[in-house]
Amino acid sequence: MSDAIKPGLPADQLLALLAPLGGTKDEADRWGLTVRVPREQLRAALLVLRDGESTRMDQLLDVCGIDYLSYPDWRGQRFAVSYPLKSTVFRHRLTLKVLIEEDDAVVPSAHDLFRSADWAERECWDQVGIVFADHPNLKRLLNHHEFVGHPLRKDYPCQKRQKLSINDPMIDQLAAKLTQLGYEVLEMPVASAGLALTPMHQKETQS
Amino acid sequence: MRVKKPDGEIVDLMTINIGPSHPATHGTLRLFAALDGETITAAVGEMGYLHRGFEKMVEQGTYQMVLPFTDRLNYCSSMMNNIGFCKAAETMFGVTLPERCVTLRVILLELSRMIDHLVCNGANLVDLGALTNFWYFFNPRERVYAIWERLCGARLTNTVTRIGGMYRDTYPGFEQDVLAAVQVIEDAVTEVMGLIERNRIFVDRTRNIGTMSAAGAISAGWTGPCLRASGVDRDLRKDEPYYGYETYEFDTVVGTTGDTYDRIMVRMYEMRESAKIVRQAVARLKPGPINCADARLSLPSRNHVYHDMEALINSFKLVYEGVRPPAGECYDALEAANGELGFLIVSDGGTNPYRIKVRPPCFTQWSAYPDMLTGAMLPDVASSLGSINIIAGELDR
Repeated sequence: MSDAIKPGLPADQLLALLAPLGGTKDEADRWGLTVRVPREQLRAALLVLRDGESTRMDQLLDVCGIDYLSYPDWRGQRFAVSYPLKSTVFRHRLTLKVLIEEDDAVVPSAHDLFRSADWAERECWDQVGIVFADHPNLKRLLNHHEFVGHPLRKDYPCQKRQKLSINDPMIDQLAAKLTQLGYEVLEMPVASAGLALTPMHQKETQS
Repeated sequence: MRVKKPDGEIVDLMTINIGPSHPATHGTLRLFAALDGETITAAVGEMGYLHRGFEKMVEQGTYQMVLPFTDRLNYCSSMMNNIGFCKAAETMFGVTLPERCVTLRVILLELSRMIDHLVCNGANLVDLGALTNFWYFFNPRERVYAIWERLCGARLTNTVTRIGGMYRDTYPGFEQDVLAAVQVIEDAVTEVMGLIERNRIFVDRTRNIGTMSAAGAISAGWTGPCLRASGVDRDLRKDEPYYGYETYEFDTVVGTTGDTYDRIMVRMYEMRESAKIVRQAVARLKPGPINCADARLSLPSRNHVYHDMEALINSFKLVYEGVRPPAGECYDALEAANGELGFLIVSDGGTNPYRIKVRPPCFTQWSAYPDMLTGAMLPDVASSLGSINIIAGELDR
């Protein structure tokens, strides 16, 4: 693994690889290479880039949602999801971009292709409100679980305040994780039964 | 929580919250774990306790107004965030920075990397009960903060760069201060290494604890020291050099097993490599301008403003409206102390950023962390968490 990085493919060859999947160059990115692919071909494109001998883009750095609602002179779908990719073998980068309509803001999830996609997609759902189909745990990530709306949408008021009444008990997530590891959950604890290993814990037991 | 194990045995697991305000999480992170005795059967993580809405806030102001917000991302090395954001914006403008500015930024980047590693390893060693090392590390760190204070007036939230240059030039005696601080840090690293490198307690508590395989680290999107500790020799300073890093002589530090020991040691040796870079950069620091001469970015000289109408308008526009990067979308990254710090900037050609997405390096590390704990012992939570260096400021934004 400690080999020096190899020179990557030039932009036109990367583009040619994605052309059969309907990939077109996004002219907005004049500094790197962004390729627009149709939503149906997103997973196929990610696989081609990840597993191709000449690409080996094995790192998905982020999943970034963009809302074009107030972009000047924008005539197109309202949302975009960007997937910046890079390789640990070759010196090249590529960003995949999917454009989606407001009333059908659904993108196939890539959590099984890249482990990093799991939480990145949760963040994108939380902040921009893009639904990732087949995601196993599409919960909010940065905002709390009682939050309503998606703050990075352009129609979300910047000063709006929302309150939280109680923390997420997270027992459902823990039970799902145990099931995934081969355990069978027979009895779920009530939410307040979780012991807290925090400075408060000591105080509580003393009183 | 009563469960049936894969082998058919029925056991009662204890569920326990670790955090969000636990001293060993060094920030506001929450883990929720199921314990079988002292062994962690499964754990899930939560974040967002320090979420301020960075990405929403920066859309409300100009590009220059983003800079003070970037200080508060990774507050252990604020200058790296300043430089990272400015670098992304400068890429959009396509400007070339003057020689002195670039060299100065390299010095600041590497000193920031050193103090970030000092905090990470120092605090991690405290979690392991080795308090002495904390003082050995935090005194030299204070030397660097004294330099920051003389350089820009602030210790932690520096806002030291501007898009297209620096806030201001160095003070007389800056070079000597930097070289002295680097020497003090190197001595501290040597002292701490002497205390821990072959210390039985330290080695037993970190070797083969919190192990991450190379393939796992790549798929989880790890970058920086944590990825290198797993044996993947990737460093943006070498792979996609910027600011002339290809002309400096230094080595990347690579681990073998990806355990807590490797991650701590990678950071230790990286401080020595950074010291090499700082010494070379200080030797190259020549007098000259620190701001690029591009009228879209830099204020004209006062002399011009007072005597030239165009310069006066330029000055007004820059102060009241701010800079306007060309419309488009640009992702740019640099090697921060924790890994790849990326900024995706969407510009509509106006004075306010249309959308800025930060790619914080510790986000991917924290997302993979709960799974690393499966089968680990409860005391290993603190030691392995410290070694992946989660900074809640940049994690939660």
